[in-house]
Amino acid sequence: MLSPLQLEEFEQIDFLRDRHVRFFQRTLQVLPERYASLETTRLTVMFFAVSGLDVLDALDVIDRNNMIEWIYSLQVLPTEDQSNLSRCGFRGSSHIGIPYSVKGPGVLHPYDSGHVAMTYTGLTSLLILGDDLSRVNKQACLAGLKALQLEDGSFCAVPEGSENDIRFIYCAACICYMLDDWSGMDIQKAIEYIRGSMSYDNGFGQGAGLESHGGWTFCAIASLCLMGRLEEALSQRELDRIRRWCIMRQQSGFHGRPNKPVDTCYSFWVGATLELLDVFQYTNYEKNRNYILSTQDRLVGGFAKWPDSHPDPLHAYLGLCGLSLIGEPNLRKVHPALNITQRAFQHLQQLQQTWRDNAGTCT
Amino acid sequence: KLFLIVIVDSLVHWADLEPVPQDDGPNPVVKIAYSEKFSDVYDYFRALLKKDERSDRAFALTAEAIELNAANYTVWHYRRVLLQALQKDLREEMRYITDIIEEQPKNYQVWHHRRMVVEWLNDPSEELEFIADILSQDAKNYHAWQHRQWVIQEYKLWDNELEFVEKLLEEDVRNNSVWNQRHFVISHTTGYSSPAILDREVQYCLNQIRKAPHNESAWNYLKGILQDRGMSSHPGLLEQVLELKETHCSPYLLAFLVDCYEDALENNNQKETLNRALEVCEYLAQEKDTIRKEYWLFLQRSLESRFGPSAASGEPLADGTEPPAGQQELS
Repeated sequence: MLSPLQLEEFEQIDFLRDRHVRFFQRTLQVLPERYASLETTRLTVMFFAVSGLDVLDALDVIDRNNMIEWIYSLQVLPTEDQSNLSRCGFRGSSHIGIPYSVKGPGVLHPYDSGHVAMTYTGLTSLLILGDDLSRVNKQACLAGLKALQLEDGSFCAVPEGSENDIRFIYCAACICYMLDDWSGMDIQKAIEYIRGSMSYDNGFGQGAGLESHGGWTFCAIASLCLMGRLEEALSQRELDRIRRWCIMRQQSGFHGRPNKPVDTCYSFWVGATLELLDVFQYTNYEKNRNYILSTQDRLVGGFAKWPDSHPDPLHAYLGLCGLSLIGEPNLRKVHPALNITQRAFQHLQQLQQTWRDNAGTCT
Repeated sequence: KLFLIVIVDSLVHWADLEPVPQDDGPNPVVKIAYSEKFSDVYDYFRALLKKDERSDRAFALTAEAIELNAANYTVWHYRRVLLQALQKDLREEMRYITDIIEEQPKNYQVWHHRRMVVEWLNDPSEELEFIADILSQDAKNYHAWQHRQWVIQEYKLWDNELEFVEKLLEEDVRNNSVWNQRHFVISHTTGYSSPAILDREVQYCLNQIRKAPHNESAWNYLKGILQDRGMSSHPGLLEQVLELKETHCSPYLLAFLVDCYEDALENNNQKETLNRALEVCEYLAQEKDTIRKEYWLFLQRSLESRFGPSAASGEPLADGTEPPAGQQELS
């Protein structure tokens, strides 16, 4: 018979699957006005929820076809005269005011263009929902992507201009990887930028000279892995040093920078990086798990960055991914570089094989 | 009465514009439930955007749209288009963006906007003080440090930065962002090649460690500046660290020791050095850094494999990895 204290401790580390399923379901429906700042990134929020449900093996609770249509309505397609090719990709939402449409040609609008993170999450979301990407204008996406890369190898988010850094290199690498076409980026320049972002302490910053950080380190390593250039770009000595920087981020859960508090999302950013570097197995799974679960919201579901804080879709998703990495039962495995389930990844591989077969039969 | 004024205002000033609603189609996903006021502002914003109208009313509306959602990058871009098209007062825009950043210092768009305005004005004179103020509220704000590095590098404002760094390290010697800035400044000014500078920095680190031993940032900096300049060959360093080990020990000190021994082994594979390294790994794994026990044991195996007696035979590690080539035979 468990004592009240033991019972309390057991409950505290109990993983509340159903609450998380409902959390993601609600996220996909309606959010209150205080979430206004997420408007232009709604597609990334959808990705967190949909991929989260996939990790939970609960995609059956949503209407996949309707969601697929909504994603396609966000595609910026070429206009009749193809004058907007360098602006193609996916939008984050309907905020510009283009009338709903899932097919081309594109509508000419002075300010309509794709956003690299939305193109990335649009493609991953379609894959997760089982779509075959046949309505994606791949050449247009790649043209739009190419237009975003700068001389120094980094990417902007949008053709109108924005900040440029390693986050968008990661998005670009994911896009090229999924579309199985690296003509959308200059890999060599991207590698140079990534190398240039390595700090004296062997983590990666957002760009040269900037403070090393768990999120940017993930972007750096995952990008190189997706490019298939990890061991070409970094020496064994450098890789060992990076492993050390990453593994020192574990405090209980993980933090993103030395002397900063831990935060649930780094259980994925740093955890996945360690996995890609083959040393995640040497971390302390129990302490990591206990931290992630301490940030679980037992009432509304989801996870927050810290205990007793409000959950949000990003931390809910990455908390799950963090648990998946340590082998939490009943969670699907996650591809550590692409950040989708292995199931969705296998679907992608099958699609890519079909594309290759079809390309072979065209004369 | 106020209600009527608002209605009349919109009839008078916006009557010619057909508001453009958002259109998510029959099955919207992640829909945000906006109030009528919010939708009104943005419906008119979308109408102006469609026409690419360049007017004062458009400029005024961008401020309203920003107040409702400062993360909308399209609004900021349109505002920049208008700033130039209408030849707006950029000094006033600097005051505006200063206020917004003070309210929302972790937003990417506002910092990007400020950078654009500074570039147009070609005037960085307010920047260091402004950023210092933001950092006084959150000394680790990544955007602030990024903007600071951009300003300093772009306009060559290196002169007083090391002093700024030292002041902040006095306030919080564990602020990793400041240690990073220290490296940024020195590597772009004097560099670390001269023995005088390198030694000064090594001593600075050790002094900070004496004051606050459990500080990963200081140890990372020390290792960072020495790792490609001969960690084990820096005169007197190993001795100083071994001394500190008695009174100011930490997992970081011990990890640094392992790295020193590894560096020494690469130049001169001695059994005694290897044994010391393995001992420290064991100490870390079992007592001083147990959360990383498996990692320290892995490192121990790796060192054993690379430098130990079995290295000569080239046998693979239990992990399945091959030891690197070029092992020195023990004489």
